[in-house]
Formats: sequence, structure tokens, C-alpha cells
Amino acid sequence: MNPTAYSRLLRAAFVAATVMVAGPAWAADDYALGPDSERHEGVPAGAVTKYSWNNSRVFKGTERDYWVYVPEQYDGSTPACVMVFQDGGNYVDAEKAFRVPIVFDNLIHKGEMPVTVGIFINPGVIPAAESGKAARSNRSFEYDSLTPDYADFLLKEILPEVGKQVKLTDNPAERAIGGISSGGICAWTVAWEKPEAFRKVLSHVGSFTNIRGGHVYPALIRKTDKKPIRVFLQDGSGDLDNVHGNWPLANQQMASSLKFMGYDHQFVYGDGGHNGKHGGAILPDSLRWLWKDVLEARGAQAAK
Amino acid sequence: MSRGTWFGTLLVALACGWSAPVAPAQDMRLGDLLIDDEKWELVGEGYTFTEGPAADLEGNLYFTDTFRGKIHRVKADGTVEVFVDKSGGCNGLMFGPDGRLYGCQNGKKRIVAFDSAGKETVIAEDVQSNDIVVMANGAIYFTDPPNHQVWYISPSGEKRVVDKGLGYPNGLILTPDESTLVVVDMRSADVYAYRVEPNGDLKFRQAFWTLRTLPGKLDCGADGMTVDADGRIYVATQLGLQVLDTSGRLGGVIDKPQQAWLANVAFAGPKLDTIYAACTNRVFKRKLNAHGVRYFDPAKPKSAAGQ
Repeated sequence: MNPTAYSRLLRAAFVAATVMVAGPAWAADDYALGPDSERHEGVPAGAVTKYSWNNSRVFKGTERDYWVYVPEQYDGSTPACVMVFQDGGNYVDAEKAFRVPIVFDNLIHKGEMPVTVGIFINPGVIPAAESGKAARSNRSFEYDSLTPDYADFLLKEILPEVGKQVKLTDNPAERAIGGISSGGICAWTVAWEKPEAFRKVLSHVGSFTNIRGGHVYPALIRKTDKKPIRVFLQDGSGDLDNVHGNWPLANQQMASSLKFMGYDHQFVYGDGGHNGKHGGAILPDSLRWLWKDVLEARGAQAAK
Repeated sequence: MSRGTWFGTLLVALACGWSAPVAPAQDMRLGDLLIDDEKWELVGEGYTFTEGPAADLEGNLYFTDTFRGKIHRVKADGTVEVFVDKSGGCNGLMFGPDGRLYGCQNGKKRIVAFDSAGKETVIAEDVQSNDIVVMANGAIYFTDPPNHQVWYISPSGEKRVVDKGLGYPNGLILTPDESTLVVVDMRSADVYAYRVEPNGDLKFRQAFWTLRTLPGKLDCGADGMTVDADGRIYVATQLGLQVLDTSGRLGGVIDKPQQAWLANVAFAGPKLDTIYAACTNRVFKRKLNAHGVRYFDPAKPKSAAGQ
């Protein structure tokens, strides 16, 4: 080997080693929000109202805030589609990564998603009985547990409560649920446990890892009768690698299992970290894809 | 910023809409707890069945040799001496704010307290008991496994049942601020959290944590437990010493000191940074990167989480 070739090889080895060691640090994670995440003149804005839910029977002792978005186009006669978000305070915020009410306003106005009521729910906390003592966060228990509890909480408590003021669909194909991190696996668990109630899932940097056993989903999906779930997964190469597992690998495993079983799914894998930047930037596209089948079904219905 | 910290920050950021003070979600790596080159060390051996490890204010460790009915004290220099010669069949132990050692004297169906001279006083009678926790105000909770219940003794001495229905309630402990009582059901893999009311009542029972079990087992064989200043719960199980975090997650499993029944653990030592394990015929200790909790301790260490 001549010296030049040797130095070239060394250089290549160095670059390879750098990539291997510093991989995620190379990720740009420079996603930016697009026009569908901004307010536009002439686009009617839906109403967002804040509530609290402090008497849960499924999660006893918990208190939480939630917000309901009702689009301006909701006419009170036709049942609206439903989309629930975990960590609701984050998704409903017009200044943060997702700005769901603004995106909903724009897409509903353009006819790119159906008239949909958004329900944004914070995880529960169990306040201490005495002031000055620590409240117990129930977030991981509610979101990371592989049980039907969170679905029951939605179906028995929150949806009936919101349904008192807005007509909500009971068609599972018109009910979606989304979340970030543990909220993402929670969305999947709700549909997995109750596909008769929820069939659309949106997961941002979902925690399909062993926080409370969720790492088994890729294996379960492959050995379980296919469920009628339409699912959009987003993750990035710079996502977490910690005591609970490796998020990028876990999400790739999920996508691989969904593909293996022929699920109606999309997996967008970027270079972002454990945050909502990428998910927020592609939220309009994610929602267009998620709701496309409903618009098509309605179009076909109208054409008959 | 490490990724773990980053993750925690995200969770806290997500939680910022909450009005109540919330312990931040902690990504509690087992590696943060273990110290390189610190392994289990033998403290004493030749006992029948050790139980009830408990620390006094100086950090001396007490434990029972159950079948021989003795309570031993391990002093700072490592010597082990007899503290109580006839314990009446004591099992779980814990020091109270009055400096007395409270014990589950199941051999006589009583709860008792021993003063510094080892003199016994009866606190409650006609009760079965296994493990005990004493609050800063002197109130007591103890488990009664065969009757599937948890008892409370008020600071003024009235006893009453405050929970019923667990399969075999065994170990119990309070969070550092005493806001939550934690009880393990030995016949399942569930660890329950209860909100502690000012009058001692327990509310909102929830199977907040799930333990790992040995292959082929549905029950964890959990026995005693302790807590550290950061709120981690340490459960003695047959798989090992399982460490649970404040968010409802299993953080990891520390190996048992020997292949025998691991009955109970407690922090002791002058700095309260050494965990002592009662494991059948022997008692072991291991230094951890954590500090125990004495509820009555005026110098109770504060955790990073502010609990």
C-alpha cells in the first residue's frame, strides 16, 4: 500500500469512527414549521376552551386540565370526527412545536381533513393530601402501561363529558389519537386495546421502549391478528438511547412489524432528537395522510 | 446536558401546565446508584432467619434473628452485639421519633417498642404483623399479611384497619415526605401506592409499579422494602433488589448478596449511605450512591427532586 492510499484509508477510518461515535450529533434537527402552522387571514379559527377533570374513576385521585377545540365549521348537526392528544397542554399551545388548533383551522378550511373536535388532555397528578408535600405524577402509569385503562378513561369519562356539548362521532375510523414520547405509545395502546373505538394513531418520538414494558409491541404485532389501525409514526436518528431502550431502534422495529403485517401505516424517520420539532414541522402532512381515508370515504358516499 | 437530563427536562416541560407541585420525572439509571468496586460485604453470619433491618439516629443497624428471638446491633466499627435477648418473635423493625425501636412482635401478636436499654413496652395487642413503618409524628402503619390488611396506629395509640384486600401485603414504606404509603403484595408482581390522609386514612390505592418475577413465576416473592432521599423504592424480591422510581418505573435490579431468601433492606451507617440486606442466615452491606431516610431525622437529607 502506498503512503497516499494508506493516509486515505486512515482518513476514511477516522471519518467512519467519528460517524459511529458521534452519529446523532451530526443530526441537523433543523426542522421548521411551514405555512399550515401559521394563522392566515380569512381562515376561521375554532374555539379552544379549558376544563379540568378531577373526579376520574379509572385513575382515582387524579386531577388534570384538558382543552376542547371546536372548529368554526362544526354546525351542530353532523357528528364531528375526534382527535385526542396526550400531554394536551403541549399540543394545544399556539406557540409551541405542534400548534394543533392552528393546523386544524387551516386543514379543515382547505377541506384537507374533516371537521374534527380536538381534545387535549394533560396526564393526571395525584396531589398530596397536605400542602407542601409532593404530588405524584401519574403520567408514566397512564401512558406507558400496556393496559386498556387509558382507553377506558377516554371512553367512559372524557368522550361522554365532551359529548355533552358537541356531537362526536362513534365511528372508530373517524376517531384518532396522538402523542409524543410516552404519549405516543399511549396512542398506540389505546387503538391496540380498543380498535373498536379508535383506529387512527399519530406517534411522535414514541416510547416503544421498556419504560413499563412497551418494548414488546413489535413482537406482539407480528404474532397477533391484524387490527384495523391506521398509524403514522415519526422518529429521528438523534432520539434517546437510555436505561429504557433505544428510541430510534424501537421505532424502526415498530415500522418493520407494521410493514410485515401489512398495516396501513407511514413511518417518517428523520435526524431529530427527542423533541417535537420534526413532528411539528410535518404535522400538517401527517394529518392529511391520517384523515385521507375518511375524506375519500365521504367523497364516495356523496357520489352515490 | 446528558440525554437523560434532557429527557427529564422535556417531561418537566410537558408538565409545566400543571398547577400542583410535581416531582420531576426521573430517569433513574441503575448506574447512577452503583459505585464501581463497591460490592456486597458480609456483616455477620450464623443466624437463623434475619429480618427487620433498621437504623437509629447514629446510623447503627439493628436486625432480628427471627427464630432465635434476638435483636442484634451492628455498630459503626462493624462489631455485632445483642441488643434484645428475648424479642418475643420480632420481625419488621423501625425507629420512631422518640428514639425507641418499634417492632412487629408477631410471636405474641403485638406491636412493641424497645427503649435504648432494650426494655419493652406494648404499643398494640391482638394484631398479626409483618413489617412496620413509623412516621415523624409517631403514627405507625404495619402490614397484616394473613388477614390481607394494613393497620394504622395513631400518635395517640388508637389502632384501626386502613386497607383490606391485598393478597399478601408484606413490605411497606413511606415516600420521604410521607405523602404516599407504598405496600407490596408478595403474591403478585404489584407494588401499591396510597395517598396518606392527615388522619391516617389511605386513599386511591393504585398498583403503581410492576416488579419483575423469576422465570415461570407470577408472584415476585417480595418481602421488605426501603426508600432513599430521592424517593426510589428498594424492594427485596427473589429476583434481586428491585429499584423503583418515583414515576412508576422499574429502574433496575441489584443482585442479591447470595442465593437465598432476601428478606429486607435498610440504609444505615453514619452517612446513611450503606444499604444493609437481611438475607436468610447472613447480613450484608453495600455502599450506594444514595442516602436513606429517617422520617424523624432533623437532618433528613434533601434530594435533588426537593422531596
